[in-house]
Amino acid sequence: MSASGVVTLSLIRRQIASNALPIAILAIVLVFTMAQPAFISPDNLIGIVRQAALIGIMATCTTFVIMTGGVDLSVGPVLAASGLVSYYCLEANLPLILVILAGLSVGVLVGLANGAAIAILQLPPIIVTLAMLSVVRGSALMLGGPEQHLIRDKPEYTFIGAGNLFGLPFSIYVFALVALVMIFIQRRTPLGLLVAAIGDNERAAYLSGHCTRATKTLVYVISGLGAALAGIIQSSQVHTALATYGPFGTELDVIAAVVLGGTSITGGNGSVARTLLGVFFLGVVNDGMNILNVSIDIQLIAKGAIIIVALALAARGG
Amino acid sequence: MAETPLIRGIGLTKAYGNLVALRDADLTVMRGEVRALIGSNGAGKSTLIKILTGAAAPTAGVVEIAGETAPLGDPKEMIRRGIACIYQHPNLTPAMSVLDNIFLGRQPTRRFGFVDRGRHRREALALVERHGIDIDVDATVGGLPTVKQKEVEILKALALDARVILMDEPTGWLAASEVVKLHATIRAMKARGVGIVYISHVLDEIFAVCDTVTIIRDGRVVAESAVADIDRLQVVHLMVGEKLARESAQAMHHKRNPRGSGEIRLSARNLTKHGVFKDVSFDLYAGEVFCITGLIGSKRTELVRTLFGSDHFDSGVLEVDGQPSTFANPSRAMARGIGFVPEDRRREGLMLDMTVNENLAMATLDRFQYGLLMSRSRMGQAGRRMISSLSIQPPDGARTVNLLSGGNQQKVLVGKWLNRAPRILILDEPTVGVDVGAKAEIYTILRRERDGGAAVLVVSSDLEEVMTVADRIGIMVSGRLVAIHDADAVHMNEVVREIGMGTG
Repeated sequence: MSASGVVTLSLIRRQIASNALPIAILAIVLVFTMAQPAFISPDNLIGIVRQAALIGIMATCTTFVIMTGGVDLSVGPVLAASGLVSYYCLEANLPLILVILAGLSVGVLVGLANGAAIAILQLPPIIVTLAMLSVVRGSALMLGGPEQHLIRDKPEYTFIGAGNLFGLPFSIYVFALVALVMIFIQRRTPLGLLVAAIGDNERAAYLSGHCTRATKTLVYVISGLGAALAGIIQSSQVHTALATYGPFGTELDVIAAVVLGGTSITGGNGSVARTLLGVFFLGVVNDGMNILNVSIDIQLIAKGAIIIVALALAARGG
Repeated sequence: MAETPLIRGIGLTKAYGNLVALRDADLTVMRGEVRALIGSNGAGKSTLIKILTGAAAPTAGVVEIAGETAPLGDPKEMIRRGIACIYQHPNLTPAMSVLDNIFLGRQPTRRFGFVDRGRHRREALALVERHGIDIDVDATVGGLPTVKQKEVEILKALALDARVILMDEPTGWLAASEVVKLHATIRAMKARGVGIVYISHVLDEIFAVCDTVTIIRDGRVVAESAVADIDRLQVVHLMVGEKLARESAQAMHHKRNPRGSGEIRLSARNLTKHGVFKDVSFDLYAGEVFCITGLIGSKRTELVRTLFGSDHFDSGVLEVDGQPSTFANPSRAMARGIGFVPEDRRREGLMLDMTVNENLAMATLDRFQYGLLMSRSRMGQAGRRMISSLSIQPPDGARTVNLLSGGNQQKVLVGKWLNRAPRILILDEPTVGVDVGAKAEIYTILRRERDGGAAVLVVSSDLEEVMTVADRIGIMVSGRLVAIHDADAVHMNEVVREIGMGTG
């Protein structure tokens, strides 16, 4: 009896540990709702998802990078550069599809550069992408200068970030699509398995006949694509392209979402689906503090503290 | 009055959830006693060791050190009370000197916390002398042979005033002549009254150096005896149980098949990698097991890596099925039907956090692929087939590989290649850290492949293994393949003599 009691208890504890994030999200929603009932209104909830879409797209797309034991710090400036490239293409009156492809190509190029330096030259990801952060930000400033570029009279472009479809912001559909595609890749394609294998034991993956360099390069391209797509959405949402979008801290939010989702920072274990939970957790926290009129300085401190506490709890549970 | 044991574990039990890893185990070590602790992988040896080092707290039971009850689950306290452990893999800082390694982290200091190098050296020299260990304390650890590194670890333990040293497979990576040296060191410590717990899968070593033996199976102590009162067969029976023991005895006897079907699968002519190996020539036939043996450091591993394309030779000719071949990477070698089981399964072989099925599928992902998609159900089916064909325990493809015993991990690693039906299978030390039962099973698998027409190349330091599985034996000394024998026509003593040729 007592032995089975202990087993049941430990089972419950394990259940709590593996569901800690959804539970935490619910708890925080409850707390914010009690403090400010408007928090739970449909409009606000939709607002949260819409706000979370940018970080969400970047986080789902960079989950693979972190699963291979790497990191991508260059997402912020890629976001800015992609918005600027799209802006100039719009100014040149290119068709929408080319505008979007041009914006996305920024992510592909930066991803290829990151991937080549990391996979082929074997340089450490943290340094490579930190350097790339500087290079891309500089390039964005060179391209766009310090001023804001207003996007005028381009309804089909601004629909991406600001339009509504069936009562929901269009950007939410884009976010959902990206998330589904990434979850699908992870669960149903050899690439998903290979990413986990490389993170777990790169040498063994190589000795099993896999081209680990190509795969590692590819994950940085995917990460760059996510950041570039986020840049298109952001510029169309605010009708503006600016070289300093995706400021310092963007990459931290992205990495925090992935890691809160339980992806191991040393590689191997990870899940795109759980990254989404991390995204929503951060989204709820951000929005709740805004609604409660918490000042930005306190917000930053609180957010950092919450991330550390959440990670510590997750580590104990796991 | 009876002498007080140095360490005594009474009724030790450890449960992980509802899995009981160790049940009511007793273990006693007296002054100057070398006690063997043996059992199959997963029998509970590591759990017992963890309790004695304080790395894990038992669910029930008591540990007494020199007659006093010790606090449990406290590694620092166990070290303070003189219990040291030497793990299978070296736990040293290779770039530092022997002296620095011995006192790493707790150098004797002068006032203001400055390291007292003089005292440091005096103490180390006294230690070396007292225990009769022959070593240069100023040598850099990374440059020492493996056996000397083991001795540095022993010195490190002795510097802590260790009265009991637990040694977990201390000879796992040592060559035969080095084992003899290590045993001499153990005897010297024994004469000084140090107690030793000696864990090994190699029965010869147990009979060579141990006084007493404790055998565990399925978490229980099944026998305790003086080594003089027990023989090999009894030990094997007690370790693995009756059925496996019979199979293992059968696996040891078989028909040899040098040059197999007579068809040359792989031929090496004057393969040379500068500064590593030189002028290596041999033929590998379909339907035979060719073993390359030699001391650690004789460059066997380096040689076979170049056959698989994960490393490259500088000159010479490699032919596979009569065609000259140089493989830029492993996938090219695989396309020609070569499979390779690397030496270190944890570092190079397995994705430890992934499942058995995923690991088994790792070299054949293309088979489960349809366009962009991958079929998990097909992967599961293939996994089930391989698990039952190799009797991988437990037969659960969704289990994380890390949770399997060493022997079953090794079977998963071999199975990964069997999935491809390799025409040439290369295995580097296929049974290191694998228990007797699983060893026999792996030998059976190798023979099955051989009899199915594959050419099997095995690199091994374990002579018992070489004499058991080989159809032909190649001997490597310092980067040269010095001799090739038919296994029938050569005596083990001859092989030992040739292995030792040209080295100090």
